[in-house]
Amino acid sequence: MSGFRTPLARARGLGSAKHGVGHWISERVGAVALVPLVIWGAYSVIRLAQLDYYGAAAWIASPVNATLMILTIAIGFTHMQAGLRVVIEDYIHKTLTKAALLVLNVFVAGLAGALAIMSILKVALGGA
Amino acid sequence: MAAYEFIDHKFDVVVVGAGGSGLRAALGCAQAGLKTACVTKVFPTRSHTVAAQGGISASLGNMGEDDWRWHMYDTVKGSDWLGDQDAIEYLCRNAPAAVYELEHWGVPFSRTADGKIYQRAFGGMTKNYGEAPIQRTCAAADRTGHAMLHTMYGQSLAHETEFFIEYFALDLIMDEGICRGVTAWKLDDGTLHRFQAQLVILATGGYGRAYFSCTSAHTCTGDGGGMVLRAGLPLQDMEFVQFHPTGIYGAGCLITEGARGEGGYLTNSEGERFMERYAPSVKDLAPRDMVSRAMTMEIREGRGVGPKKDHIFLHLDHLDPKILAERLPGISESAKIFAGVDVTKEPIPVLPTVHYNMGGIPTNFYSEVVTKAGRDPDKVVPGLMAVGEAACVSVHGANRLGSNSLIDLVVFGRSAALRAADTIKAGATQPELKPEMTDPHLARFDRFRNADGGTSTADLRLEMQRAMQEDAAVYRTSDALKSGVKRMQDVNARKPDIKVADRSLVWNSDLMETLELDNLIGQAMVTVVGAENRKESRGAHAHEDFPDRDDKTWMKHTLTWFDEKTGKVKIDFRPVHSFTMTNDIAYIPPKARVY
Amino acid sequence: MAEFRLPKNSRITNGKHHPAPAGSGKTRTFKIYRYDPDSGENPRWDTYDVDLSQCGPMVLDVLIHIKNTMDPTLTFRRSCREGICGSCAMNIAGRNTLACIKGHDECPGDKVQISPLPQMAVVKDLVPDLTLFYAQYASVEPWLHTETPEPQKEWRQAPEDREKLDGLYECILCACCSTSCPSYWWNQDKYLGPAALLHAYRWIIDSRDEATGERLDELEDPFKLYRCHTIMNCAQVCPKGLNPAKAIAEVKKMLAERVV
Repeated sequence: MSGFRTPLARARGLGSAKHGVGHWISERVGAVALVPLVIWGAYSVIRLAQLDYYGAAAWIASPVNATLMILTIAIGFTHMQAGLRVVIEDYIHKTLTKAALLVLNVFVAGLAGALAIMSILKVALGGA
Repeated sequence: MAAYEFIDHKFDVVVVGAGGSGLRAALGCAQAGLKTACVTKVFPTRSHTVAAQGGISASLGNMGEDDWRWHMYDTVKGSDWLGDQDAIEYLCRNAPAAVYELEHWGVPFSRTADGKIYQRAFGGMTKNYGEAPIQRTCAAADRTGHAMLHTMYGQSLAHETEFFIEYFALDLIMDEGICRGVTAWKLDDGTLHRFQAQLVILATGGYGRAYFSCTSAHTCTGDGGGMVLRAGLPLQDMEFVQFHPTGIYGAGCLITEGARGEGGYLTNSEGERFMERYAPSVKDLAPRDMVSRAMTMEIREGRGVGPKKDHIFLHLDHLDPKILAERLPGISESAKIFAGVDVTKEPIPVLPTVHYNMGGIPTNFYSEVVTKAGRDPDKVVPGLMAVGEAACVSVHGANRLGSNSLIDLVVFGRSAALRAADTIKAGATQPELKPEMTDPHLARFDRFRNADGGTSTADLRLEMQRAMQEDAAVYRTSDALKSGVKRMQDVNARKPDIKVADRSLVWNSDLMETLELDNLIGQAMVTVVGAENRKESRGAHAHEDFPDRDDKTWMKHTLTWFDEKTGKVKIDFRPVHSFTMTNDIAYIPPKARVY
Repeated sequence: MAEFRLPKNSRITNGKHHPAPAGSGKTRTFKIYRYDPDSGENPRWDTYDVDLSQCGPMVLDVLIHIKNTMDPTLTFRRSCREGICGSCAMNIAGRNTLACIKGHDECPGDKVQISPLPQMAVVKDLVPDLTLFYAQYASVEPWLHTETPEPQKEWRQAPEDREKLDGLYECILCACCSTSCPSYWWNQDKYLGPAALLHAYRWIIDSRDEATGERLDELEDPFKLYRCHTIMNCAQVCPKGLNPAKAIAEVKKMLAERVV
């Protein structure tokens, strides 16, 4: 137990991790990047809805569309993962639960993101 | 009596109080390699130094030529020649170095265009021995005390001072005239502690709360003075109580003299700048005792302002709002909160309010506590020092100049530490403490803890405060002072009838207020008796039946001992030092005090 | 998981009611959190009908009036009574503030509820344990760091540089900000909190200080600094009108400046 630790020892804790600014910048850069990407994404979904299967496949096969779509997915999932991570760190204080949830967060985001990207690549490169 | 057990601590030095002087003394002792404890009833940055506004005086000469001798002359004249000139020389000579030291520690002083410490004009501070006002008071906007206290606390975190926070000091451990330590009550767990030390430094501040209306904090109960009286030692010059001219009418909160230093002025109901009549050369920047008297006179003669014609206006509305925002932001805020006044448009209603105690525990300029023994008026009490407002060195004499208190704190806090380093050896063996030395402390503590009489602490306190407010005010008369003595004797006699409702030990603030009241009563008692005894007018002691200063009979310090059982006050005197510390300046002989 | 209920021994029960004495003028009810560690009982809400004609305008005046005339056992910290010492910080009508500069007529609603600063251990009644808060302040090393030999006189500082300390040095360590910050509630063991960070910035931005880099190093941490989610409660409640959130944002900006 930490009942007899001095207050200063408690305040200093494990010391400074001496990192964090990278995360902070990437969160902001990601957020900025997502603004046009999400607008573009919404516009695309509306467009895609008007197309039939072949039309949609052809649309995705366009290098510009495929690249933008992959970027939206990749940055979106990274951003989501970072956000959820903060939520977990804020509210979950049991070390084991916290670690498990953090790992799960990375795995789920990673898996979902990879799946989505793989699917786009498949359509874009393989043709329908 | 319940069984109490002490938790023991042993230090080289124990400082009681963590205001400006306590922190400076503790810091100095720690730097000198002495194992130092600082025992305080409030967290250090809550000490009342934090409320000091205007600034700290030192002849830096940043705003034009200045000289420590001029500062010394002003202080002597301000003290109405009751100050000891050796101590005043020590203060004024060491002032600049003390301010630079504070700056090096990080105090965020306001700055001049060329990056130096900004200095403002203050009451009674003049150039060339009284010629004209001078800018000598170093300021951090109007939060100088706050800036200093926080910086000094930070600095003491950087050094090895051990703090005992929210410990309430009970009594001095005396051993045949030698001080061996102090006992204290830890509020957050209710335990009692015995701090043994080679040296105890009292830095417990003033006792403004003996009065009904004061600028002092609720915690300004002069606990060190109370402890000293109980230890059978005298207090000095207690009849000199400073009324600050500009306490906010009603609330009593302080409006700094710096407000007048920056160009503010006082008016009566006729809109007249009446200070021009009372002090033609320095006007609104006259010393506080004179301004307070002038205001009282104006009110008495029917020229007060407000529906009851019972206060005075302080004008800042003619000043540039930018200057107000930069140099007087704190009081602008206070005036808004406590008087509902926008200082850029309206005057602030003010009234002279109890502010500072020139008197206190007598010391020499090494900060060692002295007493009178037989023919020796300067007998050092071994093991005991006092600094700050709790002490009476005496540099302020009968009236302190504004901004001389902050410099007093750091200069004499430092001098105490230097003397400690010279006179004691770190880790020296200390004699064993005997229970007899502390039994009376426990008996008193237990008696109040279980006090079950018919008078609440608050009621008795109010009675004391009213007596002091009415009978020992700005102007005093023989009749009023006699009545004051009588009323205070009554208050003292009713102490055994006090009632404490809370019997617990953890944060029992009812008991703490009662112990504080006990400390206050002793000091109020010697204040009013000392005032009744002094048949002259000098500085803050304005006696209407004896309106003149009488150097022949009364140029001497009053010493007062108090016997709480009989309520009797014993009076004796110490001579005022008629010499300086060095040959760099000659003794300044008394003359008429006009500005 | 996160806990949403108070532990059993902290749940607040209904306490005593103290009516105003007969013949009182206009009264108002104050509902005050009471906890006596010696009794072993749960905390409780006591209510006091206070005769407003008998006390001053501030909430602190009300508390002192209660202590002097109705219930001397009521315990709270107080000192300067003019908003500069920071002793009487508490939660009044749902907001952290200083009792001495909060008028009771400014408090909305019928009853005025007064409780200790939130999310801190309570020592007694309205007295919270601020030990960790003070230690966090100490951990930012709130003193001037210099290596260059000190000048004979003052370190020079341009008025513009001095101005950068305005809005920072005025902090009175009352803890209103930190204890109003949800991030601090959840992570006070790791997050320094707005007050300590404001002070950290006060020394970082001081033109006289020579340890800016080291200070920034010490703050660059996902928890110590970056737990600030700009919720802004700190700036909302600061009784001195300071903006700790802005100071924290400035630190983050400086850290970013360092790498780009």
